[in-house]
Amino acid sequence: MTGHYLGVDLGSTTAKAVVVDGTGAMTGTSVVQMGAVSRKGMQRAIDAALGEAGIAEHDLTATVSTGYGRKLVPGRHQTYTEITCHALGTAALCPGVRLIIDIGGQDSKAITVDADGLVDEFAMNDRCASGTGRFYDVLARALECDIGTLGDLALRGRQDLEVSSMCATFAETEIVSMLAEGLPEADIAASVHRAIAGRTLALVAQVGRHAPVVMTGGVAQNPAAVRYLAKALDLNVTVPAYPQITGAYGAALLAVESSGRSPSDRDADTDRELFPHNHTGSEHSCADCDGTGAGKVHLGSSIGVRPS
Amino acid sequence: MLDTVEKPAEDKSNRLGITRVGGQLISDYWEDLFTAREQGKQIVWYNGGALNPMFQAAGLAWCHGEAFAARLAAQRLEGPAQLAGAEYGYNAELCSYSRTHLGCSVLTLQGTEGDQTGVVGAHDQEVLAAKLPAPDFFVNNYAGCSTGQQWDGISYRVFGKKLPIFNISHPFLWGNKPDAGYLTGEEWEDASKFVAEQLRTLIGFLEQQTGRPFDYDALSESMTYIKRAAELRREGLDLCKAKPAPATFWDWIASVAPINFLPGDQALVDYFAAVRDEIQHRIDNGISAVKDERYRLYFDGIMNWNKLGFLSRKFAEYGVAVLAGRYIQNAFWQEPQLIDTTDPILGMAQHYLLCPTNHGAKTLEYLTLRDCEEYDLDGLVFHSTRTCRAFTGPQRLLAKSARDKLGIPSIFFEGDVADASFYKDGLLEGRLVAMLEAIDVRRRRGSLPAEFTGIA
Repeated sequence: MTGHYLGVDLGSTTAKAVVVDGTGAMTGTSVVQMGAVSRKGMQRAIDAALGEAGIAEHDLTATVSTGYGRKLVPGRHQTYTEITCHALGTAALCPGVRLIIDIGGQDSKAITVDADGLVDEFAMNDRCASGTGRFYDVLARALECDIGTLGDLALRGRQDLEVSSMCATFAETEIVSMLAEGLPEADIAASVHRAIAGRTLALVAQVGRHAPVVMTGGVAQNPAAVRYLAKALDLNVTVPAYPQITGAYGAALLAVESSGRSPSDRDADTDRELFPHNHTGSEHSCADCDGTGAGKVHLGSSIGVRPS
Repeated sequence: MLDTVEKPAEDKSNRLGITRVGGQLISDYWEDLFTAREQGKQIVWYNGGALNPMFQAAGLAWCHGEAFAARLAAQRLEGPAQLAGAEYGYNAELCSYSRTHLGCSVLTLQGTEGDQTGVVGAHDQEVLAAKLPAPDFFVNNYAGCSTGQQWDGISYRVFGKKLPIFNISHPFLWGNKPDAGYLTGEEWEDASKFVAEQLRTLIGFLEQQTGRPFDYDALSESMTYIKRAAELRREGLDLCKAKPAPATFWDWIASVAPINFLPGDQALVDYFAAVRDEIQHRIDNGISAVKDERYRLYFDGIMNWNKLGFLSRKFAEYGVAVLAGRYIQNAFWQEPQLIDTTDPILGMAQHYLLCPTNHGAKTLEYLTLRDCEEYDLDGLVFHSTRTCRAFTGPQRLLAKSARDKLGIPSIFFEGDVADASFYKDGLLEGRLVAMLEAIDVRRRRGSLPAEFTGIA
């Protein structure tokens, strides 16, 4: 099947875009940091993904958008919630997944999916920023470290300190107090990560503890967040190579589906080359996926694609 | 490419026209109450179960605190009262019904005594304080909610402990004895008699306050009208099982006030007869409450009173007919067959016990799943009412039961009965649409139980 399909995930702090061909293989991806839901940021993400795929907007067959700003995406054929898109995208990248924990800039979600990658149940944080990417930003700022190195700092922590406040604002005050007491920064970082994992566990409790577990979203790039979550769950937690784009990827796959193909047209479990571009896989640990090499990633049976 | 602008969503809701008549009846009721003092009537403030037939028979004017708080919230006038309540010491964690009404108590008292609150503007203070007449005494009739049971006691203190108060105690219906069931069993029988006995004592209290004998015939007459209105209400509710739905939960929400505290008289019966007739007319003429109905959902929670119109439009926008809810099917004289109009005390007591926050999990599960099946529902929406934990306490259990026993999904969203600050639209919308998407996918792939195919 030919054509180019665009999925856009316009989140609270990042815009993600994925272009796939008619088989569901990724031909272009992008992640753009923004200050907030931003049309300019979204356009940059779309342009970058289209550029990587080597196509222009008029080449697109269908576009599906998701995320907070999904209704702002121009030219969209359909919108879906991030719940549906993350579930579909993650199930495609990590076949067999049953529990998805997605932690983005502003919210955290626990989603259980069935064997076909369809949403069974989900739970989301309420208005509180606790345990979201925003919370980690606050922590990094208080500890005067870069968000990219926060996880490494936390992994060096040894002492388990009590962090009682889970409100992002009050936690900052508590962290500042700990620093004033002269407590090691690594211990503080580790303790906050542990506390946040406990908070995420409460979210998981609402949908049930299932395995295999996959973590997605920007926070999944933080190795300490993944490790402490795995510890809290007492389960292995895997992270796809590009954890931020699972929602956009799910949206792109829905764009393929929405272009007139009926479920009965689906192929059975099919391996597709989804990452024709460089796929380092340095943190990659998907089941049944080599994560490196030629970039082969299993495409689950739930996704309706067929060889072109 | 960036010039795409979302057009305002079309209003796909089609609310019953008759509810405007109900709104006028309620407006007239409050206007009458606001001048009760001038009419020479004694005034009772009360909360909880509908004691109004008792007050009507005693020749009193009555003010239901929750109802007044809900009215203020529906009119977006709750702010000054809540501010006055906060100034007095009731913070945002307290039931927003009670802190709105307690704020009114503060304003009413200050209005009576000519004092000024420091934080509520003089105009707002005058508007609210001048409107709600100060009570002559209090009666508390709250079941299943510890805040409710203390509420009038706090009003009593706000008014300087100078006014009489009568408290009615209601056993919680645990429903866990071997013979226990909905409306059956020893626990039910004993609790009914216990509350009925207190109602008889209340009559003595009312005689003491009014200085005249209680009019039992007037009580029977009032309860005859209320029983008939309740029967008509049930008939109308049953008609809403039709597909597509001729009326929704929101229409019944708009009719809560009439059944909850309007006088038992012919006008009340006429109103609910007209509600039922409009619904029947819609069925006969194929008129639906939601344009292009695609989903049928349950709504568990007390109403978010400042969001009634907004929520009815929002759900309709997605083709959702909300058809049943604990606050509608399982409250407000919902079992009229229990009322013996020649001696209505026992039946009244039983309805006060049937408050939807006064049941154990087993009974709530029975009622919720029964309504999900009878109305052929696709899922449940739980309004996690921030300041009403009595209502939200069992919600997770109910969601789990619906999933395990009926195979239908649930979502939760936070909001509140009378405090709009706890509601965030993005949360409800995202979760609602995600659930509808999941229902869609399952319908397409045929994995929904056959009985939940809806009418897509």
